[in-house]
Amino acid sequence: MKAKKVMALVLCAAMVTGMSATAVFAANDPTAQFDGLKANEAYEFPMMVKSFQSTYWDAAQEGMKKAADELGVTYKAQGPNSESDIADQVNMINTAIASNPVGLGLAACDTSSVQDALKTCAEKGIPVVTFDTGIADAPEGSVVCEVCTDNTQAGSVAAENMYNSIKDVVKDADGQVIIGEVNQDATAQNIQQRGTGFINKMIELLKADGKTVAVTGNEFYVNAAEGADAEEKDADVIIQVAVPAQTTVELCSTEAQAILSQENCIAVFGSNQVSAEGVLAANNNLNVLGSDAANGDVIGVGFDAGSIIKAAVKDGTFVGAVTQSPLMMGYYAIYALTAAANGQELEDVPTEGYWYDATNMDDEDIAPNLYD
Amino acid sequence: MTKKKKSILSDQRFIVLLVIIVLSAIFSGMSKEFRQYTTILSMLDFSYYDLLMAIGVTFPLITGGVDLSIGTGMVAYALIGGTLIRNNNCPVVIAMLVCIGLGVLIGALNGVLIGVMNLPPFLATLCTCMITRGAGSLCSATPWPGLTQDGGWFHTIFKITVGTGRSASRYPIGFLWMILLVLIMEFVLNHTKFGRYTIAIGSNKEAAALSGINVKFYHVMVYVICGLFTGLAAIAYAAVTPTVQPGTGAGLEMDAIGGVFVGGVAATGGYGSVIGTFVGIFVIMLLKTGLPYIGLQANWQQIITGIVLIVAVLIDIVKEKKAATK
Repeated sequence: MKAKKVMALVLCAAMVTGMSATAVFAANDPTAQFDGLKANEAYEFPMMVKSFQSTYWDAAQEGMKKAADELGVTYKAQGPNSESDIADQVNMINTAIASNPVGLGLAACDTSSVQDALKTCAEKGIPVVTFDTGIADAPEGSVVCEVCTDNTQAGSVAAENMYNSIKDVVKDADGQVIIGEVNQDATAQNIQQRGTGFINKMIELLKADGKTVAVTGNEFYVNAAEGADAEEKDADVIIQVAVPAQTTVELCSTEAQAILSQENCIAVFGSNQVSAEGVLAANNNLNVLGSDAANGDVIGVGFDAGSIIKAAVKDGTFVGAVTQSPLMMGYYAIYALTAAANGQELEDVPTEGYWYDATNMDDEDIAPNLYD
Repeated sequence: MTKKKKSILSDQRFIVLLVIIVLSAIFSGMSKEFRQYTTILSMLDFSYYDLLMAIGVTFPLITGGVDLSIGTGMVAYALIGGTLIRNNNCPVVIAMLVCIGLGVLIGALNGVLIGVMNLPPFLATLCTCMITRGAGSLCSATPWPGLTQDGGWFHTIFKITVGTGRSASRYPIGFLWMILLVLIMEFVLNHTKFGRYTIAIGSNKEAAALSGINVKFYHVMVYVICGLFTGLAAIAYAAVTPTVQPGTGAGLEMDAIGGVFVGGVAATGGYGSVIGTFVGIFVIMLLKTGLPYIGLQANWQQIITGIVLIVAVLIDIVKEKKAATK
């Protein structure tokens, strides 16, 4: 009898822990807010993409279609000829708003140009879900949910995976070693977060292994770094951050070359498509990148996709790269819009950056995100 | 008069050459990484399209005009060529010819607008700048074939790679073509009717017309030549740029135009030299390549580049004034 009681207690305890674990999980996973979601009506949403130029947006639409099929709603994807045709997109948005849709999906080409349109949405009570690009200073009450990449997390994924490849080299290094990072700018929020996410995670990993770290180079990133504890001259590891004067592949390449041509450089990270391609362009002449760090290869990690970066990952020039998930962004944007049209209160849905390398780039859940 | 000007010109080129030597010495002294063969290789890789654009735009600048459409034009032609290769299985050689053809076409359009219809060059080429930028944006981001891919042979025009991987040797053969082109165009400028008329239009268009020169025709041809070189630049650009991105290219013309002025083309037109342009571009390239090596951050790179350009152009103006007061 006593044994039974004990058993019951243990079971209860187990159930309670299990429940609380689920509860904690739900609080951390914003997609849980869409559990069991059904559309109250057959809604139709206008979805504004930035352009139809790149297969990135095809992937986003694939996600939208999947969600729309699941929920029984429809959407109409629209977008200007190119991501720089800001005025065209604003016109399209205004036309869409004029027909009073139940909700609007928006990936703004230029976040400041859509402020008026967003104000109109707020006045008319049209819920807006932003995807891909968040709008930090959106008018009150317009944007009900943001479905964007968690760039800090995406940067840290790059750092973690890079560290796996260079861990032993760092441990056995005789003198100081350098890890480079090329960021195309120090002004766009997504690049800032990504660059800083990488640096801070790398510092954390290095310090956990007892190394001292200094961050040098671009002022913004040096100031944004947390936990760097050493002076440049006596740090075990230097994280050297370069930002070109303009966002061209040429200047990214020159910066990458200046980093890569240092003998004690062991790894480099290019934090978006342009800067990662700049790293590859620099490597064309230097030929130092590879996947065997122990034999002196410099470990390269990229970001985003495109056929050049994909080819570099496939042949081992880059050990891997981090891709955003346009597919999931499109998918959750439709879910968020449906929930908003139902009248549900929403919290933002950050989507993850995924690591891909030669071994998993053909996997079902990765391949659709790797646009050309 | 012409004789005096010629001696000033050669001085300017000499001074620019000195600037190049001094800059190289400074960068080499401050960074041992800079003193590497691969640095020169990369600098040359990225110099070809700047240089080709600069050779072309030297001619409009000598007439006292300008061509602002070369940067966006170059990117647009490279995008269109790349799209033809990727989506239409077009042979690379055809895509290259398309680049050149489009360059000539837009050049002719510029020429007609400016030479025949008398639009101000700044305005006319600003319009074609917008047109080419828009046209390029109709394409999606396209990489041309890589060196090892089908059709990648066109890279060997600019750089011969012997062997693969780390043991490969690379020879920047493009540099030879550039020297050849510079010498040809220098000859064209100084020893052909076309070249002399280009200078004549820049010195005094009315006088040139009164002396019986078909000013309209030669004015159009100046922009056609510029377009032709922009088309060539598009091929060089495609060879070094992994993925040509739509909507880019604005601003690239400024490096080329800056290099031409450093090389001693008069800001008011009327004289200049292609050899001057050649050395001028290398001042710009050295600054772009060397400043990151000595650890200067982006903002300082631009400030210093701007200052060097001012100094280079000022030297020219001061010398010209001195010569005039003699």
